[in-house]
Amino acid sequence: MSELEIPEITIPVGPQHPALHEPENFTFKVDGEYVVDVEARIGYNHRGIEKAAESRSYIQNLYLFERVCGICSHAHTTAFTLNIEELLDTPKPPRAQYISMIVAELERIHSHTLWAGVAGHEIGFHSFFMYLWRDREVVMDLLEAVSGNRVHYAVNTIGGVRRDITPEVEKKLRKGMDILEERLKTYRTLALEEPTLIKRCEGVGVLKPEDARRLCAVGPTLRASGIKHDVRANDPYLAYDEIDWEVVSYDLCDVLSRILVRIDEALQSVYIIRQALDKLPDGPYKVRVPRNVPEGESVMRVEAQRGELIHYVRSNGTDRPDRYKIRSPTLGNIPAVCHILKGGYIADIPIVLASIDPCFSCTDRMAFVDVNTGKKWVWTGEQLRRYARKWRG
Amino acid sequence: MAGLVGSAYTVAVYGLALIVVVGILSLFFEWFDRKAFARLQNRYGPLHTGPSGLLQPLADFIKLLSKEDITPEAADKLLFALSPVVICTIPLLTLFFIPVFSKEAIVFFEGDLIFALFLATLLYLFVFIAAWSSTNPFSIVGGVRAALQLMSYEIPLALALIVPAMFAKSLSITTIAKWFETSFQPYALVPLALAFFIAVVCAQAELERVPFDIPEAESEIVAGWQTEFSGRKLALLRLASDIELVLMAALIATLFFGGAAGPWLPPFAWFLIKTTIVVFVFANIRALFARFRIDQLLRGAWGILLPLSMLNVFVAYVLMQMM
Amino acid sequence: MGFREEYEQIVEGLKQAIGAENVVDYKIPRERRIFVTVKKEAVVQAVKYLAEEQDFWHCSTITGLEAKDCFEVIYHLARDHAISLSLRVCLDKEKPEVPTITDIIPGATLYEREVHDLVGIKFIGHPNLKRLILPDNWPDHIHPLRKEWTIERIREELRKAEVIP
Repeated sequence: MSELEIPEITIPVGPQHPALHEPENFTFKVDGEYVVDVEARIGYNHRGIEKAAESRSYIQNLYLFERVCGICSHAHTTAFTLNIEELLDTPKPPRAQYISMIVAELERIHSHTLWAGVAGHEIGFHSFFMYLWRDREVVMDLLEAVSGNRVHYAVNTIGGVRRDITPEVEKKLRKGMDILEERLKTYRTLALEEPTLIKRCEGVGVLKPEDARRLCAVGPTLRASGIKHDVRANDPYLAYDEIDWEVVSYDLCDVLSRILVRIDEALQSVYIIRQALDKLPDGPYKVRVPRNVPEGESVMRVEAQRGELIHYVRSNGTDRPDRYKIRSPTLGNIPAVCHILKGGYIADIPIVLASIDPCFSCTDRMAFVDVNTGKKWVWTGEQLRRYARKWRG
Repeated sequence: MAGLVGSAYTVAVYGLALIVVVGILSLFFEWFDRKAFARLQNRYGPLHTGPSGLLQPLADFIKLLSKEDITPEAADKLLFALSPVVICTIPLLTLFFIPVFSKEAIVFFEGDLIFALFLATLLYLFVFIAAWSSTNPFSIVGGVRAALQLMSYEIPLALALIVPAMFAKSLSITTIAKWFETSFQPYALVPLALAFFIAVVCAQAELERVPFDIPEAESEIVAGWQTEFSGRKLALLRLASDIELVLMAALIATLFFGGAAGPWLPPFAWFLIKTTIVVFVFANIRALFARFRIDQLLRGAWGILLPLSMLNVFVAYVLMQMM
Repeated sequence: MGFREEYEQIVEGLKQAIGAENVVDYKIPRERRIFVTVKKEAVVQAVKYLAEEQDFWHCSTITGLEAKDCFEVIYHLARDHAISLSLRVCLDKEKPEVPTITDIIPGATLYEREVHDLVGIKFIGHPNLKRLILPDNWPDHIHPLRKEWTIERIREELRKAEVIP
């Protein structure tokens, strides 16, 4: 295309863009339909959670971290409570570990079906999107039955979980798992057989295994490049080492492989939930813990739906952390996605960007403004206009 | 101009009636398309405005009319204001050559099929001008894509529409429609079926619908060439795409199923039934596929559809010589 | 316990590679967790040894924090997503600078930018040490995650710089 001497056009994607469901900015230099260069600028979603955590007690922080992200809320609290429990040296009771794991896997199914639907939307396959989201309702209803909530489940607490799984809920869960297994298998066949979907995803956004290693990719993005690493298997937490399941990986390294990894992982989650329900131990689901946490530090890694999530805590003997650090999976995948976007087509930008399942809410958790005093930022229309005029010059 | 029906007075009356009917039809087909698409996806679709949401497209249209109309600073004001009007008028004009109320179109002459195709091409020129005049990167990329798409799909479409014309030995849409009623031969079925398939695929591309909605691929380039249009201009563009839908459906229904021709029922009823069926076929295609990429589209058009349509014309010619 | 000996061997190897005097201390709190403190001079060598000889190719993240008498930078490295090794280095409060590790682990680019942005630690040799998270009009001297910057003080300073009304 470059022989035609079309001048290089810079296309801003974001902060507001229909391909991104959260505000982020990627600046693309394009030559015709090809992407020449890409630069990411994150930070439109900062709520200062890391700073805010330092001035809150551990129990308050539990609710704060639930709200780091709307999709992987359970993963964040799992990492947080396990971290604090490690410092306190009081692990969750066995029943609580299983319940937490069941919710984590339900969340994974919900997130992966949501993602696959969005991927369908990105490539203009609206029917795929609609059907997947219809079936996602099944798992949303199950989450509501287990936790009472559809988004922020608030299941984890320091020293266990907050709600038990009753026999009625268990029955519902088993029934839901049967439906989901059948539907997920259908979508797997669809992804392997639908010609336009394969045409848009096969060989697109290739991330070679050595690049995935070099750029420290995580989660399904890494596993879709043929590297079989999953924190649940390699660094087991909760009760994952007592369950018989498989780490899914595909070595096509492209978007199709990322779709297949996610659908297969959702299927594995179905198997994990079934086994966990079979093995659900009796006993208490919660123990009392002291308010103050002894001095120390701890690193906890959890396999969130989007990949490895790492929490680091430094405590100082009081009821508040001295420093709390969160690294969400999306941040880990941004260098990789920038690498694979270069040299591709404009038309592939949305699906490639979406293929790492970006969640910028998680990524941007640490700016400066206290969440409680957010009203300082609410501007009247007049103020906003004045700011806009000043900004435009 | 040869073959005008009656006096200038009748043409004016019929013309006015046609414009009103096409306006209603285009809104009806938008509703039908949306509803069919939604039902195929296990959704309800429009539901609340009017019976079964029948009035939803009209409500959308009125809502858009009342919205703020913004012209970008850098835009070419004249072209920017003019292009929606032209884009809306051209398909309406083309519908004058298609028999709707009676078995004869309001205006027909030998060669009006070629003229209709010419108008369709002109439409895309104005799409490109609309994109260019709005000076938005999304619009320009969308406009370039629209132009590329048009270049590659115009030829197979023309070759597909030529096949019924060859059998009817006429380049007038009215005469071709009459041929279906009077002297249709069964041997024409095979080339006609293939031509119908090609025409439907090309029509999807012309209408910028999935799997060929590349010029306005929402998740890639926002609204493509329409990005900067708002308010009344956007309302006109939306109406234009509905009229285009009527035009394409009517053209295909007329050239491959005889359009208004048919026994027992009045011509307009036949026209309506056949066109609705074609729209239903369109809605099915929209629900079944993902969007192609522009390079895949070009490869498909030049590598598959063009040779196929040329072969089809050749087969039709041989058949005509043999029979 | 088998894992303890194994992890001690990793630390021994590190001591041999960068010199025993450069490894300040280490602890192994439980299986799959190692904390090592090294001197600032040897951090690049240490990361190089761990990434290339010991297969700790994955950098999970980099934490920057302000302790009582120094700034700490903690590199969370991982082997096979299993063993998590936290390599800690203490930096002078007056001059918080540390050489970059991006030439050894390119995946750490954004993490270094994040720490630079929020804690104000300079990574010498980083190819693109620009703003990543804070807004472009943010005053350069405010490092929000340092202890001296309370929320009230940040707000006051921002008002002074006319970033917020």
